[in-house]
Amino acid sequence: MATAASASAAVPSTTTSVRVPLWAWALLGFAVFALYFVSQENGALLSSPAAQMLHELTHDARHALGVPCH
Amino acid sequence: MGTTFGSVLRRGVLAGVSAGVAAAVVIWLVVEPVIRRALVVEDSRSLHGGRSAPSRLPAHGGDEPLVSRAAQVVGGAVTAVLVGVAVGVIFAVVFARCRGRLPGRGDFGRSMALAAVGFAAVSLLPALKIPSNPPAVGDPATVGRRTMLYAVVLLLGVAIAIVVPVLDRRLASRGTVPSTRWAIDVAVTAALVVLVLVLVPGSPDAVPADVPASLLWDFRLASLAQLATMWLTLGLVFGLLMERADAPQRALEPVAA
Repeated sequence: MATAASASAAVPSTTTSVRVPLWAWALLGFAVFALYFVSQENGALLSSPAAQMLHELTHDARHALGVPCH
Repeated sequence: MGTTFGSVLRRGVLAGVSAGVAAAVVIWLVVEPVIRRALVVEDSRSLHGGRSAPSRLPAHGGDEPLVSRAAQVVGGAVTAVLVGVAVGVIFAVVFARCRGRLPGRGDFGRSMALAAVGFAAVSLLPALKIPSNPPAVGDPATVGRRTMLYAVVLLLGVAIAIVVPVLDRRLASRGTVPSTRWAIDVAVTAALVVLVLVLVPGSPDAVPADVPASLLWDFRLASLAQLATMWLTLGLVFGLLMERADAPQRALEPVAA
């Protein structure tokens, strides 16, 4: 496996390296977006009533997570 | 055979669900009682005709709440679980990418190390600069600026978590002895954290006079307890699941046969 060989050149221990496929980074981007959505979305993407509904539903967790809420 | 990314990701999601549930329990037991105290302060304002609650967000003690308090409590718990899953996914990707470079003995040690770095960089550092506030604190007019500052500190925390290990490896490749390397790492981390805390401006809001200092302190402590619980559970569960994955053949084959 060429990828394993190239990974072992960069990483000191060959047994610990895990090949991260490209889609994993897309998934990471989606997870970051999901975090933004539940913690910060206040009308930038959603319509005003929908954003307000989301704000109120996630309200307590937003306060608890420490993100600026209002 | 090496560990596949899919198996790491599955464990990340599972650990994320556990972390989210643990965080939701802490919110329910520790944070909600403080939020109730803050809502009493908010309510007494509108009763006395003084400063009313922000009109932009009518559910805060307004006449017709958009969402009931009960729904807010349940919604908060669901949100905590969703946040746990999202953080678990990010954790798994970063863990897989950095597994060979993370300190700690075995996957359990590496998982705990990554969770500690995650807590410090994206939860503790922003909380020190822009501390969490209960309802009844926070001027809606400055929320954009506070959010921007919060995001800047969070990104700087991530940057420190990337820069210091890079420096460490560079020192290692130059043959610096571990004790010297450690001392330099700690000193550089401390210096960068102090720079962030000193140079980034703080929240522009003043805390209203009718909010007791004890309420503010209790809420900030409760908020940190919830965040620490989430990261600790994530690190513990993910680490345990990865350790179990290391010897699946030994453990499972007698059952399968």
